[in-house]
Amino acid sequence: MKASSVHLNLLKPGELRSSSPIRLRVMLPIGAILACAGLLLWWGMLFTQLLMTKAQAQGIAGDIAAKEKEHAEAIQQRDLARELKLQLEQLDYYKAGVRSVGDDLSKLAEVVPLRVQLKELHFSPPKAQILQPPGAKIPLFGPTENVETQKLVIAGLTTKETPVVSLMESLETGFEGLITRERKINSFKQDAAEAEGRKLLSFEIEYTMPERRFAK
Amino acid sequence: MTGVELFSAGAEGCRAVRIVYKKKVWHLSAADVIKAPNGELPTCWEDTPHQPTWDMPHAFQAPHAAIAVNSAMGSFAQSTPDAVVQDMMAGLDAAHSAASNATKAEPGKKRFGIKRDINPPGTPKSATPSADSGIRKPDFPNAGECVSANGRRFVARPMVEPGFHLCATLPEFQSLWLSRLLPEGKRPTASSIQVAESALMASVFLQPEFRASNGNAFVIFARRDAFFFAGYKNGEPVLWLKCPSAGGTDAMRATVMKTLGVDESLVDSILNESLIDPRPAIEPFARPIFAQLELSLAYLATKHSLKLDKAFLMGMGPGASYLSAYAEESLKLKLVSPDTFNGLVIDKGVKVADSPSYLVALGAAIAGAEVSA
Repeated sequence: MKASSVHLNLLKPGELRSSSPIRLRVMLPIGAILACAGLLLWWGMLFTQLLMTKAQAQGIAGDIAAKEKEHAEAIQQRDLARELKLQLEQLDYYKAGVRSVGDDLSKLAEVVPLRVQLKELHFSPPKAQILQPPGAKIPLFGPTENVETQKLVIAGLTTKETPVVSLMESLETGFEGLITRERKINSFKQDAAEAEGRKLLSFEIEYTMPERRFAK
Repeated sequence: MTGVELFSAGAEGCRAVRIVYKKKVWHLSAADVIKAPNGELPTCWEDTPHQPTWDMPHAFQAPHAAIAVNSAMGSFAQSTPDAVVQDMMAGLDAAHSAASNATKAEPGKKRFGIKRDINPPGTPKSATPSADSGIRKPDFPNAGECVSANGRRFVARPMVEPGFHLCATLPEFQSLWLSRLLPEGKRPTASSIQVAESALMASVFLQPEFRASNGNAFVIFARRDAFFFAGYKNGEPVLWLKCPSAGGTDAMRATVMKTLGVDESLVDSILNESLIDPRPAIEPFARPIFAQLELSLAYLATKHSLKLDKAFLMGMGPGASYLSAYAEESLKLKLVSPDTFNGLVIDKGVKVADSPSYLVALGAAIAGAEVSA
């Protein structure tokens, strides 16, 4: 038996009130207002943070732009320094590759036999250097190879073979800075010129000069 | 739970009780006549802005209160779903309703008949729009669900008798006024608003004899303006009837005064004591009541197999013994008149004088607490 079977309640569920002094009807709007205020504060903080971040980003972007410029200048300076260093290096190579032949050539006059007349003394030209290769912005400096080999060609006239042999023997010692022992007689033949009523002989000897090294 | 009866006719203040469930027993922790709210029950919408708030005395500050109201504009009756729906439509435009009702009327068909083949008992009727009138028929409310229709509130519960419902109604503005009477944030707050007659039905649920009979009982509720008959089967309502052709206890007192030629101050003593036999004055008054009682008992016996050898007489006060004796003589029926607060443990300091007058307040509290017996 339940009294609920005769309970005819004309109060609607929505009209039930709370006896608690903390009224939901009051607290809900207050809570809603506080929530809105909290949201606004949060939104304000977010907005401020966004503004600060934007300002920071702008500063960083400015810094990056400035640093990019400096970086480009630094790279340019580095390239230039590298270029100059290369040039200095090349100069060092050249410095190392300096061949001093003056003394040897002056001594050459002393060892030339009497019956030999030197008509020509020349160095074979070095290999052509590509100073401006196609597509290159700057010209190359120095030789294309680290080792350069030149020939010393001695041409002259003589009366007979012996003085030439004597000359070659004289050149074998004391001229290591100018020539090596490697030689090649390009020609030895009778010349049209005469001296003392005799037909002269022309000769041409090609000596291989010591290697010229462009290295430190 | 606090139960309170509002606007009882001819009574000063409001009868209020507070019941508390402690250690599996219901206690009566307070019962008193308290100061009525400062204001009258509104009789139209224009009165509702004058809304008082009502603070109850400390003894009645239970978490919740059940309010039982005496309103001439309210009603409580045993009814059929059709009649309830018709009542719900009563506020519609009269001419329009009359026209549509005339077109809908079918010869030989009862207007308020029980349509068992269409709607199973207790099943809420779905609204069916009337094709010819265009007026939407209100939904029959679900059991215990309060609905508003045309300015009135309705709540209905099915009875044991298939097709019958107990239906209580109150104007919307009175319901709103009552719902706001007890302020929020203070004890008690209203958890139930009932029509006074509706509260009567629950007032017997804690009576030991009612419980001993397993809820199979017939109860006569005596009120100042009328007598009501209620039948219960296993605690479920099976009959509710306002006794026709008879007034209430006020009418009985008036008859005694008129027949015996005594002053009002002597009526209570005459009805309580036996120096003057009041039966010649009471019997003509009681005859229609007992006639109706006999019919109702026969109805319960034949229709619901409830053969009762006794009935309860509640809320009677002085004169109950004479009615009991007369019932015994004329109907061979034992008419017991237990104290209103029987079945409750009465706490110390609680005054229980004039207990029959607390019947509605107690019933409201019992129904509001939905007591299980």
